[in-house]
Amino acid sequence: MTQGILIYAHNSRSVDYALMAAISGGLAKKHLNVPATLVTDKFTVDWMKASQIYEMANEIFENIIVVEKPQTNNNRKLYDGTDNAVVPFINSNRSSAWELTPYERTLLIDSDFLIFSDRLSEYWKVDSDLLISESINDIYDNSRLRYHDRYISDVGIKLYWATTVMFTKNTKTKIFFDLVTFIRDNYQYYADTYRFDSKQFRNDIAFSIAKHILNGFEQNNAEDLPPILTLLDRDILYSVDKKLTVLISPMLDSNFCAASIVDTDIHIMNKQSIIRNKDALMELI
Amino acid sequence: MHEQLKKALEFANYQQTFSIQRRILKEKIEAKLTYGVNGGFFHIDQILLTFVEMLCSKGRTTGVVILDSNRNPILIDDLEKFRDEIFSRYFETTYEYFESYQVLKKSRSVEKLLEQ
Repeated sequence: MTQGILIYAHNSRSVDYALMAAISGGLAKKHLNVPATLVTDKFTVDWMKASQIYEMANEIFENIIVVEKPQTNNNRKLYDGTDNAVVPFINSNRSSAWELTPYERTLLIDSDFLIFSDRLSEYWKVDSDLLISESINDIYDNSRLRYHDRYISDVGIKLYWATTVMFTKNTKTKIFFDLVTFIRDNYQYYADTYRFDSKQFRNDIAFSIAKHILNGFEQNNAEDLPPILTLLDRDILYSVDKKLTVLISPMLDSNFCAASIVDTDIHIMNKQSIIRNKDALMELI
Repeated sequence: MHEQLKKALEFANYQQTFSIQRRILKEKIEAKLTYGVNGGFFHIDQILLTFVEMLCSKGRTTGVVILDSNRNPILIDDLEKFRDEIFSRYFETTYEYFESYQVLKKSRSVEKLLEQ
């Protein structure tokens, strides 16, 4: 069975997702020892060429699949430590992963998920067609997580995190991804039914609802990918050498404490701090 | 940014950073104690090790079904090989944990903790 990694990157005015995808793809390929494919759009490719990362991306990714850039009204507030900005969030085509992946077994990851271990290799042969991360673990402790980091709404179902998704390409998973597309296209209806805020489309929510529906409208405690160790966007990736040095804001304010991370997969929500450390991260690929 | 790091180091008390480092270390060790085989997924702990060793000592070494961490039945063709692999993984990982934890405990400043 062919195995590989799939990453989506559609640049916005503020965030260079292509660069992040190159870093994330390079690290994943190195530590999991499988090929990687990038899904992107013409505008992002043009930017990659202009910023001279296209050649490097071609070395990292065995395929660069160019698709239509999704139209979006999605905006989100992204923090960079104490600073923040509202930026466009182009994420609505993730459900095309089933159609686009060249692999029989695919690990779909977000471009801000950096892999530094072979932990996820243990899951390639798990006898389950679809695995999604069941939760996130805050690097500081889980007291900083909110209710809506665990459930899709006040009265809703468990929230799964589409930051890491592993699936086998077969008829069962096609139904799942088709359903995610349907939920996306009828997002307001599902927001009314599942009582979540529809202001922003989130893949995590669409994937969670699809999983809930296909489990017979019940929560299934069977196989999941492991919780995702996460550095919140109020925290900062400060420097990178053999380890990552991070600044953590325990009270989500302007006071920070420090920690270091080595050989551990990490979801870094502060995207700008990944970009600031791009050169050092590239050295680790 | 250097000023920010300086402020951060001033603010951070030793115990806070120690707790985070320990949490990250535990996360890393937990990851290494997971083991996938034959479509199943096992968390290697004392219970699994003892159970597998007991089966081997009773002579049940081929074609054994064991429930994995998700309570799914997994057929293990060669249980002695499986035992050797999980024992080896367990001892390597716990020894690494021990060594890293000792270094952590001996680190008496935030700066030393960050060198981990």
